[in-house]
Formats: sequence, structure tokens, C-alpha cells
Amino acid sequence: MIFSRRFTQQLLDLLQFLIILVAAIVILVPIYWIVSGAFKQQVDIFQLKLLFTPTLENFKIIFQDPYHLEEKLLNSTLIAFFTVIIAIPLATMAAYSFSRFRLKGERIMFVTILATQFVPAVVIVLPFFILFRDLGILDTRLALVLVNLSLIMPFAIWMIKGFMDSIPIETEEAAMVDGSSRIQVIINVVVPMALPGVITAAIFCFILAWNEFLFAVIITTNKAVTLPVGLSMFHAEEGVLWHLISAAGIMIMMPMFVLATLIQKHFVQGMTMGAVR
Amino acid sequence: MASVTLNEITKRWGDFTAVDQVSLEVRDQEFMVLLGPSGCGKTTTMRMVAGLEEPSEGEIFIGEKMVNDELPKDRDVAMVFQNYGLYPHMSVYENIRYPLKVRKVDKSLHAEQVRIAAEKVQLGHLLKRRPRELSGGQRQRVALARAIVRTPTVFLMDEPLSNLDAKLRVNMRAELKHLQHELKITTIYVTHDQIEAMTLADRVAVMNEGVISQLDTPERIYNDPANLFVAGVIGSPPMKLIPGKMREGTFEHGEFSIKLTRGDHEQCVLGIRPEDMEITRPGDGIFSAKVYSFELTGESTLITVILGDERIIVRGPKDYRVEIDEQIGILLNPENCFLFDSETRQRIRI
Repeated sequence: MIFSRRFTQQLLDLLQFLIILVAAIVILVPIYWIVSGAFKQQVDIFQLKLLFTPTLENFKIIFQDPYHLEEKLLNSTLIAFFTVIIAIPLATMAAYSFSRFRLKGERIMFVTILATQFVPAVVIVLPFFILFRDLGILDTRLALVLVNLSLIMPFAIWMIKGFMDSIPIETEEAAMVDGSSRIQVIINVVVPMALPGVITAAIFCFILAWNEFLFAVIITTNKAVTLPVGLSMFHAEEGVLWHLISAAGIMIMMPMFVLATLIQKHFVQGMTMGAVR
Repeated sequence: MASVTLNEITKRWGDFTAVDQVSLEVRDQEFMVLLGPSGCGKTTTMRMVAGLEEPSEGEIFIGEKMVNDELPKDRDVAMVFQNYGLYPHMSVYENIRYPLKVRKVDKSLHAEQVRIAAEKVQLGHLLKRRPRELSGGQRQRVALARAIVRTPTVFLMDEPLSNLDAKLRVNMRAELKHLQHELKITTIYVTHDQIEAMTLADRVAVMNEGVISQLDTPERIYNDPANLFVAGVIGSPPMKLIPGKMREGTFEHGEFSIKLTRGDHEQCVLGIRPEDMEITRPGDGIFSAKVYSFELTGESTLITVILGDERIIVRGPKDYRVEIDEQIGILLNPENCFLFDSETRQRIRI
């Protein structure tokens, strides 16, 4: 039997809906589990019932002795903030150079910068550990900022360069003839025009720095512990304290969520502008 | 106000020579057009004057001052770009004000100067808009206003009209001409459009392969081309170039001959403009040919005829009518014929 065209279309629509539904479930169920877990009491945590008595107790506990999540929150915030504050101006300048000047060995430099992204993090953890131990900065925020910079800069340079490439050179030349020095051109013309890209890069960098786990877990032990590492301390004799982990998980997710919502417009524009000239 | 002098400037990129020992003096208040096909070096020449390219050799003077080592910002030139080069994140007002701002002109003068510049190009009512909210013609006006806002020594214009539609181009052309007349600022204008060159220029430098083929007034470039290249570039439709030979003062082509002058020349080219040919009855002219196509342009007619392997375009009166495949006669006046050497490509003076 040959299906009518209308029926085939309906079938395809249904299929499409099912695929989206499955994808949504896969993505949203863990988030739901975390969010609901944060408001559950420990006894309810493995119960799959939808109706439970919500409590804010977990959020209180994680900020109290012995957990003191606020310290980790402060560490994470400062580390991510300073990483971005240092990385973005530097990356912007590097990206401008790569985009506009024809340098000797430019291709090799650029490819090398990209290549650092393909080295598995676990390979370079040990050299970093030894380096920081010798410098006496193990378990400091400075060490994590440095590590994050090394992880983030290549990515930021690469991303911002893409945006700068799409700025017409005439605009810059017009500014130069109009009376600007090179630095004025960058500040008055290039950065404002590349702003969606710079903001996008900044957000990505902040997220990467905020979520970084591997280096933090090895380089920090006590003073400079970040939120993702902090999650691993919720153990007790009765096992993993999932209700507390959930509550702490929300503390990790919330800033990212707020940030993403605030700058969604730039974010989307930035994503597409880099891709399509 | 100042003259611009180029003294044997050359620009090379590796083995490629874009501009080859060009010398040119643009007089004070003159409107100089650099005309030529893409890749002839005209834009590179202008960019060297602006300071956006460094000459490989030679000297550039603006007024009395050698500017080779000056940055673009220190040359006191203003430039209008083909793609406008506007600042998309600034309003029209901010765009026009930018040169005043970066040159630290007294802030209290900005508003007035921007207003005057904007009014000169009829932009007064659009100052709050962003460039993306403007049409192509309006954007070009913003670029112009930005160039005139601070009365530079030299104007540089790089194909400023080529992104506009045909009608707007004609309007803007007249405006540019008027503006230059009013401001009396030395102007170098780059274009590949020979009509722009003819209508705007005080003098035209026709460029080809990095050198100036001919430098002269538009009239003389049109009426007295120095070589085959210039002959082929100026005129629309361009001059018809027919290869042949000279025998005892008569130009001989396979299909016709015409008595021109004295002398012999084995290989030469006869040049004749479409408007210098006259249509006659078959048999009455220098040659007869079959009509290949007939076009009305409004102010005249264009008749393409086939003569041997050649297609020749003739401009006829506006009320002339003819059918395709009909035979017509073409009359050439020896006074309007140009003769060129095929080898040296230079004009043979008749």
C-alpha cells in the first residue's frame, strides 16, 4: 500500500517530535534529578516519587561546618574572574596581530597555539604540579589562574581571530586616515565591532574556568579548592551525600545559568557571526 | 591646499610589480582621475599617497613635504572607500565626528562642523541613524561628509560610486563635481569607469600594468589617444580597432581600404569611434556590411554590422531605423581615423 503524501508527512512530524522528546529527556532528566535532589531530605533522595516535602535544609548545611561551600564559591569566582580579565585583553591583542599583520612564522605559531588544545590535559598535569611545587604556589588561586590561562588563551585567540577576520579592513583603514593611531583603531573600531565575539569568548572562557576540575583537584588541597572539587567532599560514613551534592551542584549551575540568560542575545549573535562572514 | 607629487614611485610584492616608477604631479586644487582596468596599479598608487601602503621605491610629496615616512594620520588626507568604510557601531553623527574627535579638535566646535558637513551632502535629517539603516547612496554620503568635515589637504576617493546603482551614480557624480568645485581641495579619484573619468576630471591619468599610459585632459585623452590601450579604454562603446596595413598612404583591410596619409606600414591598426562613422546607402560608403543587431539607446541608436571577421558598432541618429540582415554602407572620414603601430602599440601620427 502506498501512503498518501499527507500521511507520510504526519509520520515524519511524529518521528521528529519523538527524537526531540528523547533528546530533551536525556538532557533534562539529570538536571531535574539534581534540582529535585537539592530540595529533598536524605531519606527521599533515591525515591522516584514526584511528591515530596521540599526543604531548604541542604543549602544551609553546605555553607556550614565542615563544608563551608562559600569558600569554594569565592575561590571559583575569583579564579574564573581573574582568568577572564587577564585572558581576554591578551587574546584580543594576539588575535588582532594574527588577523592583521603578516608575521614571520605566523602559520606555524597559529597552528602551534591550536595544537596545544589537542594535548590531553592529564598529560600536562604532572609538569604543572612540579612547576608549581618548585615555585611554591601549590594550592593557591594564582596557580589555578595560570593553569586556566594556559588552557583558555589558545581557544580565546582562535575564537576572537575569527571575528576580527570578518571586520572589513576598509573600516580600519578609514579610521587610520581619519587620524587614529593603531591603538586608537583597535580601541575605537576593532574591539567595538568584534564585541559580540569578544563577549562570546569571555563567556566560554568563564565557563571553562568555572567548571575546570582536573587541574584543580591535583593542584589544590585545601585553601584554593574550587566548587567542582568541593563536590567530592560530600562523603560521610553513610556514603555519598547526594542531597548535599545536588544543592552544591545548583550553586555551580546557577551563575552560569544567570550569565547565559543575561547575555543570550550577544551569545547567539556571536556564535553565528563567527561562522558566517 | 597643496599639490601632490609622486616621484618615480614603485610598489613590489615579491616578484610582482604593481606600480612601476610612476611620476605624477597633481596640481593644487586639481581633480585628478586615475583610470584603468582592475590590477593596473591605480588603487595601489592612491593607497601609497594615503600611507596605507609603503612604496618600495620613490618619493611622495604632499605640498613641499616628503611624506614617505609619515603615518596615514599625519598626512592630512581624507579618503572615501569603495565599501564606504563606515563605523557600523556609531551613529551617522558619530561617524562624521570621528575625525574631529581623534584629531582633538575643540569639542565645542564638533556639533557645528558636523552639521555643516552633513548639510553639504544632504544628510542633516539622518544624523541619529546607524549606517545599517541607510541606503547605499546615503552611506556613501556619510563617508563623504566624514571626509570633508575637517577640510583636509587632499581628498582621496577609491571608486566611491561603484557600489551605487546607475541612476544614483549619475546624481552623486554631479554632487562630487560640485563639492570639489566648492571646496577647492586637491582630489585624486580612482575609477575604472571612463564616464566618471571624463565627467569629473581636470586631468586623467590612464594607467595600465603599473605605468601611466597617458596623462592629459579628458578632451585630449578622448580626441588624441597616445596609444592603443588608451584608445580602447575611453569611449562607450569603445573605439573600433581594425588591424591592417598601410600601402602608399592607404590603409588596407581585407574588406575595404581608405586613403589616409603618406607612407607605408606593414602592421598597423586603424581606430575609429562609433560616433565618427556615418551610415549611408549600400555602395555609397567606404564599405558595405550586413546589420547584425540594432539597438535603441534613447539619445541615439547603435548598429552592429559584420565586416569579414569583424563586428563594428556604429552610432546612428536617434530616429534612424534599420532591420537586422539589411545591407548598409559605412562612411569613414579620414580626419577621424587614428592609426596605431601593432608592435609598439603607439600612435602613428597621420
